[in-house]
Amino acid sequence: MIEVTRRQFLKLSGATAATLAVIELGFDPKKAQAASKELKIAESKVTPTICPYCSVGCGILVHVKNDDVVYTEGDPDHPINRSTLCSKGNSVRQLFTSDRRVKKPMYRAPGSNTWEEKDWDWTLDRIAEKIKETRDKTFVTHDDGMPVNRTEAIANLGGAALENEECYLIVKLMRSLGLTNIEHQARI
Amino acid sequence: MTNHWNDIQFSDCMLVIGGNPAENHPISMKYVTKAKKNGGKLITVDPRFTRTAAVSDIYAPMRSGTDIAFIGGLINYVLENKLYHDEYVRKYTNASFIISEDYDFEDGIFTGYDEDSRSYEKSTWVFERDEEGNIVKDESLSHPRTVYQMMKKHFSRYDVETVCSVTGTPKEDYLKVAETFCGTGAKEKTGTIMYAMGTTQHTVGSQNIRAYGMLQLLLGNVGRAGGGVNALRGECNVQGSTDFGLLFHLMPGYIGAPTQSERHQSLDAYNENETPAAGFWSNKPKFLASYLKAQYGKNATKANDFGYDFFPKGRRNYSHISLFESMYDGEIKGMLIWGQNPMVGGANVRKVRAALQKLDWLVAMDLWETETAAFWKEKAGSNPAEVQTEVFMLPAAGPFEKEGSVTNSGRWMQYRWKAIDPKNDSRSDSWFAHNLAIRLQKLYANDNSEIAKPFKAMDWSFGDSDYPDMDLVNREINGYDLNTGRTVNHFADLKDDGTTSSGNWIYAGFYPDAAPGEEKNYAKRRDDKDTGMENYLNWSYAWPANRRILYNRASADLNGKPWSSDKEGIWYDKAAETWTGYDVPDFGVATSPSDPGWENPFIMLPDGKGGLFAAGMAEGPFPEHYEPYESPVPNAFSSVQLNPAVKIWGGDMNQKGEAADFPIVATTYRLTEHWQSGSMTRNLEWPSEIMPHMFVELSEELAKEKGIKEKDKVVISSARGEIEAFAMVTKRFKPYSVRGQKVHHVGMPWHYGYEGIATGSIANYLTPHIGDANTMIPEYKAFLCDVRRA
Amino acid sequence: MAYAKLVDVTICTGCRGCMVACKNWNDLPVDTRDYQGSYQSHDKPNGKTWNVLQMKEYENQSGGFEWLFRHQACMHCEEAACVKVCPEVAITTTDMGNVVIDQEKCVGCTYCVQNCPFGIVELAEYVNADGEKAERAQKCDMCNDRIHEGLEPACAVTCPLDAIVFGTKEEMLELAKERLEEAKLTYPDAQIYDPPGVDGTNMIYLLAHPPEVYDLPPNPKVPTSAVVWKDYAQPLGKALLGVTTMAVFTGFITNKLFNKEGHGHDTEEGGEINEETKQ
Repeated sequence: MIEVTRRQFLKLSGATAATLAVIELGFDPKKAQAASKELKIAESKVTPTICPYCSVGCGILVHVKNDDVVYTEGDPDHPINRSTLCSKGNSVRQLFTSDRRVKKPMYRAPGSNTWEEKDWDWTLDRIAEKIKETRDKTFVTHDDGMPVNRTEAIANLGGAALENEECYLIVKLMRSLGLTNIEHQARI
Repeated sequence: MTNHWNDIQFSDCMLVIGGNPAENHPISMKYVTKAKKNGGKLITVDPRFTRTAAVSDIYAPMRSGTDIAFIGGLINYVLENKLYHDEYVRKYTNASFIISEDYDFEDGIFTGYDEDSRSYEKSTWVFERDEEGNIVKDESLSHPRTVYQMMKKHFSRYDVETVCSVTGTPKEDYLKVAETFCGTGAKEKTGTIMYAMGTTQHTVGSQNIRAYGMLQLLLGNVGRAGGGVNALRGECNVQGSTDFGLLFHLMPGYIGAPTQSERHQSLDAYNENETPAAGFWSNKPKFLASYLKAQYGKNATKANDFGYDFFPKGRRNYSHISLFESMYDGEIKGMLIWGQNPMVGGANVRKVRAALQKLDWLVAMDLWETETAAFWKEKAGSNPAEVQTEVFMLPAAGPFEKEGSVTNSGRWMQYRWKAIDPKNDSRSDSWFAHNLAIRLQKLYANDNSEIAKPFKAMDWSFGDSDYPDMDLVNREINGYDLNTGRTVNHFADLKDDGTTSSGNWIYAGFYPDAAPGEEKNYAKRRDDKDTGMENYLNWSYAWPANRRILYNRASADLNGKPWSSDKEGIWYDKAAETWTGYDVPDFGVATSPSDPGWENPFIMLPDGKGGLFAAGMAEGPFPEHYEPYESPVPNAFSSVQLNPAVKIWGGDMNQKGEAADFPIVATTYRLTEHWQSGSMTRNLEWPSEIMPHMFVELSEELAKEKGIKEKDKVVISSARGEIEAFAMVTKRFKPYSVRGQKVHHVGMPWHYGYEGIATGSIANYLTPHIGDANTMIPEYKAFLCDVRRA
Repeated sequence: MAYAKLVDVTICTGCRGCMVACKNWNDLPVDTRDYQGSYQSHDKPNGKTWNVLQMKEYENQSGGFEWLFRHQACMHCEEAACVKVCPEVAITTTDMGNVVIDQEKCVGCTYCVQNCPFGIVELAEYVNADGEKAERAQKCDMCNDRIHEGLEPACAVTCPLDAIVFGTKEEMLELAKERLEEAKLTYPDAQIYDPPGVDGTNMIYLLAHPPEVYDLPPNPKVPTSAVVWKDYAQPLGKALLGVTTMAVFTGFITNKLFNKEGHGHDTEEGGEINEETKQ
């Protein structure tokens, strides 16, 4: 009954999903440009994502233009939220536009009262060394005659906000290092 | 969730208890509202009047920590009034099983209790068996030791009067709930229970859920559209992170992590002791061997038990509370944190801070400077000069600055594509894990010690690029047939002889039958056409096997026909001799009426029957009410005050509050506008603007007693410390009448901290280190406090 | 054709998705307030926050307790006081029935602010194309750019419960009537709010209770003086005295008629009008 229809997006099949930049918009961006005030999402690149907040798993479209996120909105094709979002879901644009993001790897030396900016190379080396040093000092290969190959001196926390692939990689690495202290938000 | 979000619309009655979907899962209300439009009733049971309560047909207040009393009363109501789904209960549950004569229960204690270790020896929590080892049953349910009769006896103590005197629920509200929800025991009706951390964060959290499960089995609401026991869950991928084993006691796919014990001394010992004879878990050795193949690749051979010995064996409980206790004791030297913030989200934050101060090094990867990354600062209450911890704060890429999948509460594994390059110099967590693994491999390259071996055995083949190849990661998670190099179709393809691999067997099949180079990631599927009952079978992928409703065999009756025509799930097609329907059957599709398993819908359990009596729990085969660790009243149901199986933490900073000093019940919760520890929302302007300040909610009655006026600053104190917050005096809080005594309660969000745009006191300074007996989830939801004007 | 937004408060759950979607689409500035004593973030909509969710605790006649949620924004009156009192013709009603403000024409006289029967319009900082800043009247424009491109207002698109719906006024009234029948089963006093005193609004409510319960004026009216001025005196004056001379009068008369606060704007006003008379 409502004449003004919600914007329709072309279906993205699994096969074409890798080239999402070619999503077609259901309205004519040229017409939008011709309008007196340019529609802010005209000619934006649109990419679907899933909301990073609660576990309902709503679809969100991210509009990118000139290396900036100009708008985010509910994905009209998503079977759960069908273009709708709550106050948190509507806020995801600011995850990118915020100037409060950590900008570089930061290091705080023992006893210091300030952060120092570091590059990734130094940071990765230093962390790898710390892990090896702690692991090697505390690693137990056998206990009570049984192979246990563990260190109880390193802990790993997180993350229910990570992706499955990330969780998999982290678990794989941490178990191989011999960690038993592996926990995350699901426990608390 | 046993079901999924869209499915809620088919419910005749939605019981929200221990959850608050309107605030914490707002979009779910789309389906709650749809159900209501079709005549479904919404019930909210909550200590406070929430936004969900505001749109509910019935709101029943319940004192925090009394779920078992509340649900136990409903179980009693169902049994007394014979409202249960008779056929379902008789055939699909263990109601007819006869319990061993050695089992007993008296004054809050089940048989087998050992007071010193605060634990149960469970050998009496078993069924009678005949000479052939079969469970003895009485399908008439009249034998006094049937599960049915024993359950009836156990819950007969949960009469409405006693229950309401404990929960503080007005009797008329309670009866309305009982009548409405228990009405879904009718064959053609279904009701759902929607819960979240309001259920789990108690010393009896797991038994709370057990009680929900029992009630749902009695009403015939499991496995059916509009039914289920539905954990709404709290984070975008908390389902996935749990599935992938980011917990001390699990390997991916819920395979128990091996421990230092005789039972787990070798792969054979593990398989022998951890594999049930029947039910789906009888395939565990196949899943485990395939997992070890994924973990260690070519270094996993039949000769070395697929690298089983390389895998770390723990010797105790390392769960969150234990982890911070041992960090405080100096046993943990270094920690890596990925998008978590225990300085706000952990219980007993004063102890968390003291524990962090003892670390040699800490790596915190996040989009923001979290309270945890900044724990050493003065604003955290630390003296930086005295904190000797090296801290690394790493800039993490945001959710749409990288790619990968997340799994929602309905187990839908959905892909997130990359929309834009990572902001600033940030990197994805997978980039960091990948590069850290490679640096560590270099550090260990020339180390041939015994210590190096288990690490060097790891197979890390995710391409040569700077970023790990996500497609390769996904293939490894799904698993390969190692002979053909193609990905496996299904977890049923997995083998225990080392010819298959699978990083997480429950996900096997999301990337099916793909040759190298052929892309087939079903998490990326976007066909939004309804394939029936809004199961959307071609949208993304749901584990296991793309199944949308678990235990869906139970949606059909003994003839294999749906119990109700408007709630069809799967059914048996006699002509085709196969199970079919709107969902992927959670059942052998070829199981025919003549097969012995025909009446066993719960295929994950050895006997295939829903467990009204279950020995797996730490504190008893039936749920029993115990008071929270800190409670203002004695237990009305027995002389046992606290769950007898919980671990009580002694030592520093674990003070317990007594009602004489702290007479008010406190609870914590989340708000629509913020998320978790707040770093992902309090750093953003919009959510900060609409919920800018830390507050404590209290009743007009309590405010009057304490001389507190609206907008006053107040101090909330517990045995662990005190915090300041603005007073929110509201009619949505009312004092309870508990066993004739007036009990006040307050509530506050746990989102706030000292970093971000919207800042405020950390509620978890107040909460204790005490956890559930099974999961060790902290009791955030019920503790004692006092309140005064600042 | 007139289009309208139907706000059905009887099903709103107060998630405030509409508030953030509005900020997001319209790139509105931050507007954080001191502690308000309740969940409600702002006392009412203003120039920086165009829609505000009212969250009100209410004890109904039968002693029951309710928590009421109401999306508040510009009502887009059919006979809009702001349009009538604006001396600069900066506020107009578009072909779709929504009321919009042209900040380039607005001089910040606040007559619209003072005369809005719903207290919606307020001044807020406006930055023009040259980067110059000035206080200008601002409010919800019903996502004017979106609706003229065939898209619904951001708040309507994002509402999970269809508590905010957009369509032709006719359709929205029809839908409101349908929903009213249902709502009455739960709320006997449920009613449609489309006040005739302003000739109806293009944001209409389905309310669970009488308007007073939500602090809505039961019978809002455009001030008679505004009607007399805009609809009779000004057109007549233009005809008799010519546009330029009339503009001088406009400044004088609108100030007397509509500047209820009676302070602040005379000098500024005069300056602007002199500018106009030069043209």
